[in-house]
Amino acid sequence: MGNETDDQAIAQLSFEAALAELESIVERLEQGKVDLEESIAIYERGEKLKKHCEQLLKSAEARIEKITLKGDGTPSGTEPLDVE
Amino acid sequence: MTTLLLTHPVCIAHEPPLGHPERPDRLRAVNAVLNHEVFSALEREEAPPGRRDDVVRAHEDRYVEMIEKSSPEEGREPLDADTWMDPASLEAAYACVGAGTRGVDAVMGAEFDNVFCAVRPPGHHAERNRAMGFCLFNSAAIAALYARAHHGAERIAVVDFDVHHGNGTQDIFWSDRDLFYGSTHQMPLYPGTGAPSETGVGNICNAPLRPGDGGREFREALRGRILPALKDFHPDLVIVSAGFDAHRDDPLGGLELDEADFAWATLHLMEAADRHCGGRLVSLLEGGYDLKGLAGSVAVHVQALMRGTGEVTSPHIDDEVSDGE
Repeated sequence: MGNETDDQAIAQLSFEAALAELESIVERLEQGKVDLEESIAIYERGEKLKKHCEQLLKSAEARIEKITLKGDGTPSGTEPLDVE
Repeated sequence: MTTLLLTHPVCIAHEPPLGHPERPDRLRAVNAVLNHEVFSALEREEAPPGRRDDVVRAHEDRYVEMIEKSSPEEGREPLDADTWMDPASLEAAYACVGAGTRGVDAVMGAEFDNVFCAVRPPGHHAERNRAMGFCLFNSAAIAALYARAHHGAERIAVVDFDVHHGNGTQDIFWSDRDLFYGSTHQMPLYPGTGAPSETGVGNICNAPLRPGDGGREFREALRGRILPALKDFHPDLVIVSAGFDAHRDDPLGGLELDEADFAWATLHLMEAADRHCGGRLVSLLEGGYDLKGLAGSVAVHVQALMRGTGEVTSPHIDDEVSDGE
Protein backbone atom coordinates (compact mmCIF):
# COMPACT_ATOMS: atom_id res chain seq x y z
CA MET A 1 0.00 0.00 0.00
CA GLY A 2 1.02 3.61 -0.49
CA ASN A 3 3.66 2.83 -3.09
CA GLU A 4 3.89 6.20 -4.76
CA THR A 5 5.66 5.05 -7.92
CA ASP A 6 3.10 2.33 -8.33
CA ASP A 7 0.22 4.77 -7.81
CA GLN A 8 1.68 7.17 -10.34
CA ALA A 9 2.15 4.36 -12.85
CA ILE A 10 -1.53 3.42 -12.47
CA ALA A 11 -2.56 7.04 -12.93
CA GLN A 12 -0.78 7.04 -16.30
CA LEU A 13 -2.59 3.96 -17.61
CA SER A 14 -5.20 4.27 -20.31
CA PHE A 15 -8.65 2.94 -19.52
CA GLU A 16 -8.09 -0.06 -21.79
CA ALA A 17 -4.73 -0.95 -20.24
CA ALA A 18 -6.04 -0.58 -16.69
CA LEU A 19 -9.12 -2.69 -17.44
CA ALA A 20 -7.03 -5.40 -19.12
CA GLU A 21 -4.74 -5.63 -16.08
CA LEU A 22 -7.73 -5.64 -13.76
CA GLU A 23 -9.27 -8.51 -15.68
CA SER A 24 -6.06 -10.52 -15.50
CA ILE A 25 -5.93 -9.97 -11.72
CA VAL A 26 -9.53 -11.14 -11.36
CA GLU A 27 -8.73 -14.21 -13.44
CA ARG A 28 -5.67 -15.08 -11.35
CA LEU A 29 -7.58 -14.66 -8.11
CA GLU A 30 -10.46 -16.75 -9.41
CA GLN A 31 -8.14 -19.56 -10.41
CA GLY A 32 -6.79 -19.62 -6.86
CA LYS A 33 -3.22 -20.24 -8.04
CA VAL A 34 -1.62 -17.39 -6.13
CA ASP A 35 -0.44 -17.68 -2.54
CA LEU A 36 -2.02 -15.64 0.22
CA GLU A 37 0.65 -12.92 0.39
CA GLU A 38 0.64 -12.31 -3.33
CA SER A 39 -3.12 -12.46 -3.52
CA ILE A 40 -3.32 -9.60 -1.00
CA ALA A 41 -0.83 -7.55 -2.99
CA ILE A 42 -2.55 -8.04 -6.32
CA TYR A 43 -5.96 -7.50 -4.71
CA GLU A 44 -4.76 -4.11 -3.51
CA ARG A 45 -3.45 -3.27 -6.95
CA GLY A 46 -6.79 -4.38 -8.40
CA GLU A 47 -8.63 -1.99 -6.09
CA LYS A 48 -6.45 0.89 -7.32
CA LEU A 49 -6.96 -0.08 -10.94
CA LYS A 50 -10.70 -0.24 -10.40
CA LYS A 51 -10.71 3.23 -8.85
CA HIS A 52 -8.67 4.58 -11.77
CA CYS A 53 -11.06 3.04 -14.32
CA GLU A 54 -14.07 4.48 -12.52
CA GLN A 55 -12.51 7.92 -12.46
CA LEU A 56 -11.83 7.84 -16.21
CA LEU A 57 -15.35 6.66 -16.92
CA LYS A 58 -16.80 9.38 -14.76
CA SER A 59 -15.03 12.06 -16.79
CA ALA A 60 -15.91 10.43 -20.10
CA GLU A 61 -19.56 10.07 -19.26
CA ALA A 62 -20.38 13.49 -17.94
CA ARG A 63 -23.80 14.31 -19.32
CA ILE A 64 -23.82 17.89 -20.44
CA GLU A 65 -26.82 19.94 -21.45
CA LYS A 66 -26.48 22.75 -23.91
CA ILE A 67 -28.48 25.59 -22.47
CA THR A 68 -30.31 27.39 -25.22
CA LEU A 69 -30.08 31.12 -24.85
CA LYS A 70 -31.93 34.19 -25.93
CA GLY A 71 -30.07 36.92 -27.82
CA ASP A 72 -29.05 38.70 -24.60
CA GLY A 73 -27.54 35.50 -23.22
CA THR A 74 -30.32 34.65 -20.78
CA PRO A 75 -31.33 30.96 -20.70
CA SER A 76 -34.48 29.70 -22.39
CA GLY A 77 -34.21 25.87 -22.35
CA THR A 78 -31.85 22.89 -22.62
CA GLU A 79 -30.85 20.26 -25.14
CA PRO A 80 -28.29 17.43 -24.81
CA LEU A 81 -24.78 18.30 -25.99
CA ASP A 82 -22.77 15.82 -28.03
CA VAL A 83 -19.21 16.53 -26.93
CA GLU A 84 -17.53 14.16 -29.42
CA MET B 1 -17.12 16.86 -2.97
CA THR B 2 -18.29 19.20 -5.63
CA THR B 3 -17.64 22.33 -7.67
CA LEU B 4 -17.33 25.78 -6.12
CA LEU B 5 -18.44 28.92 -7.96
CA LEU B 6 -16.80 32.17 -6.88
CA THR B 7 -17.89 35.60 -7.98
CA HIS B 8 -18.36 39.13 -6.59
CA PRO B 9 -20.81 41.96 -7.45
CA VAL B 10 -17.95 44.46 -7.75
CA CYS B 11 -16.80 42.54 -10.83
CA ILE B 12 -19.97 43.83 -12.52
CA ALA B 13 -19.41 47.38 -11.23
CA HIS B 14 -16.07 47.73 -13.10
CA GLU B 15 -17.13 49.58 -16.25
CA PRO B 16 -14.85 50.56 -19.16
CA PRO B 17 -16.22 53.24 -21.53
CA LEU B 18 -19.48 52.63 -23.41
CA GLY B 19 -18.93 50.43 -26.44
CA HIS B 20 -15.97 48.60 -24.87
CA PRO B 21 -16.32 44.84 -25.46
CA GLU B 22 -15.17 43.93 -21.93
CA ARG B 23 -18.41 45.14 -20.37
CA PRO B 24 -20.49 44.40 -17.26
CA ASP B 25 -23.15 42.58 -19.32
CA ARG B 26 -20.63 39.77 -19.85
CA LEU B 27 -20.76 38.80 -16.20
CA ARG B 28 -24.51 39.46 -16.00
CA ALA B 29 -24.98 36.91 -18.82
CA VAL B 30 -22.67 34.41 -17.08
CA ASN B 31 -24.53 34.85 -13.77
CA ALA B 32 -27.90 34.44 -15.49
CA VAL B 33 -26.94 31.17 -17.11
CA LEU B 34 -25.35 29.81 -13.92
CA ASN B 35 -28.66 30.39 -12.13
CA HIS B 36 -30.25 27.74 -14.33
CA GLU B 37 -31.48 24.69 -12.44
CA VAL B 38 -28.82 22.39 -13.95
CA PHE B 39 -26.38 24.22 -11.69
CA SER B 40 -28.32 23.59 -8.48
CA ALA B 41 -25.52 21.36 -7.14
CA LEU B 42 -22.95 24.18 -7.40
CA GLU B 43 -21.69 25.61 -4.13
CA ARG B 44 -21.55 29.39 -4.34
CA GLU B 45 -19.41 31.85 -2.42
CA GLU B 46 -18.62 35.51 -2.73
CA ALA B 47 -14.95 35.96 -3.59
CA PRO B 48 -12.99 37.43 -0.67
CA PRO B 49 -10.87 40.52 -1.32
CA GLY B 50 -7.45 39.60 -2.68
CA ARG B 51 -4.36 40.46 -0.67
CA ARG B 52 -1.62 42.79 -1.85
CA ASP B 53 0.98 40.36 -0.48
CA ASP B 54 -0.28 37.75 -2.92
CA VAL B 55 -0.28 40.17 -5.87
CA VAL B 56 3.38 41.14 -5.41
CA ARG B 57 4.55 37.57 -6.02
CA ALA B 58 3.54 38.04 -9.66
CA HIS B 59 3.87 41.81 -10.10
CA GLU B 60 6.55 44.20 -8.92
CA ASP B 61 5.70 46.37 -5.97
CA ARG B 62 6.08 49.58 -8.00
CA TYR B 63 3.61 48.22 -10.58
CA VAL B 64 1.00 47.49 -7.91
CA GLU B 65 1.60 50.98 -6.56
CA MET B 66 1.07 52.44 -10.05
CA ILE B 67 -2.23 50.56 -10.40
CA GLU B 68 -3.37 51.70 -6.97
CA LYS B 69 -2.45 55.31 -7.74
CA SER B 70 -4.25 55.15 -11.10
CA SER B 71 -7.53 54.24 -9.42
CA PRO B 72 -9.73 57.32 -9.98
CA GLU B 73 -12.18 58.66 -7.40
CA GLU B 74 -14.51 59.49 -10.24
CA GLY B 75 -14.56 59.16 -14.01
CA ARG B 76 -12.16 56.88 -15.85
CA GLU B 77 -8.43 56.62 -16.15
CA PRO B 78 -6.85 54.96 -19.22
CA LEU B 79 -3.79 52.73 -18.63
CA ASP B 80 -3.43 52.09 -22.36
CA ALA B 81 -5.74 52.37 -25.37
CA ASP B 82 -7.75 49.29 -24.26
CA THR B 83 -7.35 49.19 -20.51
CA TRP B 84 -9.33 51.44 -18.21
CA MET B 85 -9.87 52.00 -14.54
CA ASP B 86 -12.95 53.50 -12.94
CA PRO B 87 -13.68 53.86 -9.20
CA ALA B 88 -14.72 50.16 -8.95
CA SER B 89 -11.89 48.68 -11.02
CA LEU B 90 -9.26 48.30 -8.30
CA GLU B 91 -11.66 46.50 -5.97
CA ALA B 92 -12.82 44.34 -8.91
CA ALA B 93 -9.23 43.42 -9.78
CA TYR B 94 -8.60 42.51 -6.13
CA ALA B 95 -11.81 40.42 -6.11
CA CYS B 96 -10.43 38.47 -9.09
CA VAL B 97 -7.23 37.87 -7.11
CA GLY B 98 -9.25 36.81 -4.06
CA ALA B 99 -11.33 34.43 -6.15
CA GLY B 100 -8.18 32.77 -7.48
CA THR B 101 -6.52 32.39 -4.08
CA ARG B 102 -9.74 31.21 -2.38
CA GLY B 103 -10.12 28.74 -5.26
CA VAL B 104 -6.62 27.44 -4.61
CA ASP B 105 -7.39 27.07 -0.88
CA ALA B 106 -10.60 25.19 -1.76
CA VAL B 107 -8.93 22.55 -3.94
CA MET B 108 -5.61 22.28 -2.09
CA GLY B 109 -7.50 21.84 1.19
CA ALA B 110 -9.72 19.21 -0.48
CA GLU B 111 -12.90 21.15 0.34
CA PHE B 112 -13.96 21.06 -3.31
CA ASP B 113 -12.99 19.05 -6.39
CA ASN B 114 -12.62 22.09 -8.57
CA VAL B 115 -13.55 25.76 -8.83
CA PHE B 116 -14.85 28.22 -11.39
CA CYS B 117 -14.21 31.93 -10.83
CA ALA B 118 -16.79 34.05 -12.67
CA VAL B 119 -14.86 37.28 -12.51
CA ARG B 120 -13.77 40.30 -14.52
CA PRO B 121 -11.63 42.17 -15.49
CA PRO B 122 -9.61 39.36 -17.08
CA GLY B 123 -5.94 38.94 -16.15
CA HIS B 124 -3.81 36.95 -18.58
CA HIS B 125 -2.42 39.94 -20.53
CA ALA B 126 -1.14 41.68 -17.38
CA GLU B 127 2.63 41.31 -17.36
CA ARG B 128 4.87 41.62 -14.34
CA ASN B 129 5.17 45.38 -14.95
CA ARG B 130 2.54 46.26 -17.50
CA ALA B 131 -1.25 46.54 -17.63
CA MET B 132 -2.70 45.82 -21.05
CA GLY B 133 -5.50 44.12 -22.96
CA PHE B 134 -8.24 44.97 -20.39
CA CYS B 135 -6.12 43.31 -17.65
CA LEU B 136 -4.82 44.80 -14.39
CA PHE B 137 -3.66 41.92 -12.18
CA ASN B 138 -2.76 38.50 -13.55
CA SER B 139 -5.07 36.47 -11.31
CA ALA B 140 -4.07 33.07 -12.78
CA ALA B 141 -0.35 33.68 -12.19
CA ILE B 142 -1.06 35.10 -8.75
CA ALA B 143 -3.11 31.99 -7.88
CA ALA B 144 -0.28 29.74 -9.09
CA LEU B 145 2.34 31.52 -6.97
CA TYR B 146 -0.04 31.54 -4.01
CA ALA B 147 -0.44 27.74 -4.28
CA ARG B 148 3.33 27.42 -4.07
CA ALA B 149 3.75 29.83 -1.16
CA HIS B 150 0.79 28.71 0.95
CA HIS B 151 0.17 25.08 0.07
CA GLY B 152 3.56 23.72 -0.86
CA ALA B 153 2.49 22.95 -4.43
CA GLU B 154 5.77 22.42 -6.25
CA ARG B 155 4.66 22.34 -9.85
CA ILE B 156 1.78 24.45 -11.07
CA ALA B 157 0.36 24.54 -14.59
CA VAL B 158 -1.74 27.21 -16.24
CA VAL B 159 -3.54 26.14 -19.40
CA ASP B 160 -5.09 28.97 -21.40
CA PHE B 161 -7.60 28.48 -24.24
CA ASP B 162 -8.57 32.14 -24.65
CA VAL B 163 -8.38 33.20 -28.31
CA HIS B 164 -5.64 35.67 -27.36
CA HIS B 165 -2.23 34.59 -26.17
CA GLY B 166 -1.68 35.12 -22.44
CA ASN B 167 1.50 37.16 -22.81
CA GLY B 168 1.28 38.24 -19.17
CA THR B 169 1.24 34.72 -17.75
CA GLN B 170 4.03 33.75 -20.12
CA ASP B 171 6.06 36.78 -19.00
CA ILE B 172 5.62 35.99 -15.29
CA PHE B 173 6.35 32.26 -15.73
CA TRP B 174 9.14 32.67 -18.32
CA SER B 175 12.20 31.55 -16.37
CA ASP B 176 10.67 29.30 -13.71
CA ARG B 177 10.89 25.59 -14.49
CA ASP B 178 8.30 24.71 -11.86
CA LEU B 179 5.60 26.79 -13.51
CA PHE B 180 4.09 25.61 -16.80
CA TYR B 181 2.17 27.76 -19.26
CA GLY B 182 0.36 26.08 -22.17
CA SER B 183 -1.77 28.06 -24.58
CA THR B 184 -3.92 27.63 -27.65
CA HIS B 185 -4.70 30.93 -29.32
CA GLN B 186 -5.20 32.53 -32.68
CA MET B 187 -2.10 33.86 -34.42
CA PRO B 188 -1.71 36.42 -35.85
CA LEU B 189 -3.83 38.32 -33.35
CA TYR B 190 -3.43 40.63 -30.35
CA PRO B 191 -1.05 40.72 -28.46
CA GLY B 192 1.30 39.26 -31.09
CA THR B 193 3.17 36.85 -28.82
CA GLY B 194 2.65 33.08 -28.55
CA ALA B 195 4.82 31.58 -31.30
CA PRO B 196 5.85 27.94 -30.78
CA SER B 197 9.47 29.13 -30.59
CA GLU B 198 8.70 30.99 -27.32
CA THR B 199 9.51 28.21 -24.88
CA GLY B 200 10.91 29.94 -21.77
CA VAL B 201 13.14 27.44 -19.99
CA GLY B 202 11.22 24.57 -21.57
CA ASN B 203 8.17 25.40 -19.42
CA ILE B 204 6.15 27.27 -22.04
CA CYS B 205 4.12 25.45 -24.69
CA ASN B 206 2.46 27.63 -27.32
CA ALA B 207 0.16 25.98 -29.85
CA PRO B 208 -1.12 28.79 -32.08
CA LEU B 209 -4.07 28.31 -34.41
CA ARG B 210 -4.71 30.04 -37.72
CA PRO B 211 -7.62 32.39 -38.35
CA GLY B 212 -10.60 30.27 -39.39
CA ASP B 213 -9.43 27.15 -37.55
CA GLY B 214 -12.18 25.26 -35.77
CA GLY B 215 -12.79 22.43 -33.34
CA ARG B 216 -10.71 19.89 -35.23
CA GLU B 217 -7.55 22.00 -35.18
CA PHE B 218 -8.19 23.14 -31.61
CA ARG B 219 -8.59 19.56 -30.36
CA GLU B 220 -5.49 18.47 -32.29
CA ALA B 221 -3.47 21.29 -30.72
CA LEU B 222 -4.61 20.29 -27.24
CA ARG B 223 -4.27 16.56 -27.79
CA GLY B 224 -1.00 16.76 -29.71
CA ARG B 225 0.82 19.62 -27.96
CA ILE B 226 -0.64 20.95 -24.74
CA LEU B 227 -1.87 17.78 -23.02
CA PRO B 228 1.35 15.78 -23.62
CA ALA B 229 3.44 18.72 -22.33
CA LEU B 230 1.14 18.97 -19.32
CA LYS B 231 1.53 15.24 -18.72
CA ASP B 232 5.33 15.50 -18.85
CA PHE B 233 5.22 18.39 -16.39
CA HIS B 234 3.36 16.38 -13.68
CA PRO B 235 1.48 19.31 -12.14
CA ASP B 236 0.39 19.44 -8.49
CA LEU B 237 -2.39 21.85 -9.50
CA VAL B 238 -3.99 22.82 -12.81
CA ILE B 239 -5.21 26.38 -13.29
CA VAL B 240 -7.27 27.17 -16.38
CA SER B 241 -7.36 30.60 -18.01
CA ALA B 242 -10.82 30.05 -19.41
CA GLY B 243 -11.46 32.55 -22.16
CA PHE B 244 -14.39 31.83 -24.45
CA ASP B 245 -13.58 34.28 -27.25
CA ALA B 246 -12.44 31.45 -29.54
CA HIS B 247 -16.19 30.85 -29.93
CA ARG B 248 -17.32 31.16 -33.55
CA ASP B 249 -19.65 34.08 -32.76
CA ASP B 250 -17.06 36.14 -30.91
CA PRO B 251 -16.45 39.60 -32.38
CA LEU B 252 -12.77 39.79 -31.31
CA GLY B 253 -11.55 36.38 -32.48
CA GLY B 254 -11.48 34.53 -35.78
CA LEU B 255 -11.66 30.92 -34.58
CA GLU B 256 -14.68 28.70 -35.06
CA LEU B 257 -15.11 26.81 -31.78
CA ASP B 258 -18.47 25.87 -30.34
CA GLU B 259 -19.79 24.74 -26.97
CA ALA B 260 -18.90 21.09 -27.63
CA ASP B 261 -15.24 22.05 -28.12
CA PHE B 262 -15.12 23.88 -24.79
CA ALA B 263 -16.79 20.92 -23.04
CA TRP B 264 -14.28 18.56 -24.66
CA ALA B 265 -11.32 20.71 -23.63
CA THR B 266 -12.62 20.98 -20.07
CA LEU B 267 -13.11 17.22 -19.72
CA HIS B 268 -9.63 16.53 -21.05
CA LEU B 269 -8.02 19.06 -18.71
CA MET B 270 -9.95 17.47 -15.85
CA GLU B 271 -8.71 14.07 -16.91
CA ALA B 272 -5.12 15.38 -16.82
CA ALA B 273 -5.78 16.85 -13.36
CA ASP B 274 -7.27 13.50 -12.25
CA ARG B 275 -4.17 11.66 -13.37
CA HIS B 276 -1.63 13.97 -11.81
CA CYS B 277 -3.09 15.85 -8.91
CA GLY B 278 -6.28 14.32 -7.62
CA GLY B 279 -8.41 16.41 -9.99
CA ARG B 280 -7.36 19.73 -8.40
CA LEU B 281 -8.34 22.40 -10.93
CA VAL B 282 -9.15 26.10 -10.61
CA SER B 283 -10.65 27.83 -13.63
CA LEU B 284 -10.72 31.60 -14.02
CA LEU B 285 -12.80 33.46 -16.57
CA GLU B 286 -10.73 35.46 -19.05
CA GLY B 287 -12.25 36.73 -22.33
CA GLY B 288 -15.46 36.01 -24.28
CA TYR B 289 -17.28 38.96 -25.82
CA ASP B 290 -20.37 37.55 -27.54
CA LEU B 291 -22.89 37.35 -24.71
CA LYS B 292 -24.67 34.29 -26.05
CA GLY B 293 -21.46 32.49 -27.01
CA LEU B 294 -19.91 33.37 -23.66
CA ALA B 295 -22.87 32.29 -21.53
CA GLY B 296 -23.41 29.07 -23.50
CA SER B 297 -19.73 28.17 -23.30
CA VAL B 298 -19.42 28.93 -19.59
CA ALA B 299 -22.50 26.75 -19.08
CA VAL B 300 -20.92 23.67 -20.65
CA HIS B 301 -17.53 24.40 -19.04
CA VAL B 302 -19.04 24.50 -15.56
CA GLN B 303 -21.24 21.45 -16.19
CA ALA B 304 -18.15 19.55 -17.25
CA LEU B 305 -16.40 20.67 -14.05
CA MET B 306 -19.42 19.31 -12.15
CA ARG B 307 -18.87 16.09 -14.11
CA GLY B 308 -22.19 16.53 -15.84
CA THR B 309 -25.65 17.15 -14.58
CA GLY B 310 -27.23 13.73 -14.72
CA GLU B 311 -26.74 10.51 -12.83
CA VAL B 312 -23.37 9.14 -13.79
CA THR B 313 -23.84 5.51 -14.64
CA SER B 314 -20.84 3.37 -15.33
CA PRO B 315 -20.69 -0.17 -16.71
CA HIS B 316 -20.46 -2.74 -13.96
CA ILE B 317 -16.84 -3.25 -13.27
CA ASP B 318 -17.71 -2.98 -9.57
CA ASP B 319 -17.41 -6.05 -7.45
CA GLU B 320 -15.32 -7.98 -9.91
CA VAL B 321 -12.30 -7.77 -7.66
CA SER B 322 -14.11 -8.56 -4.44
CA ASP B 323 -15.93 -11.46 -6.10
CA GLY B 324 -12.60 -12.93 -6.94
CA GLU B 325 -11.22 -12.84 -3.44
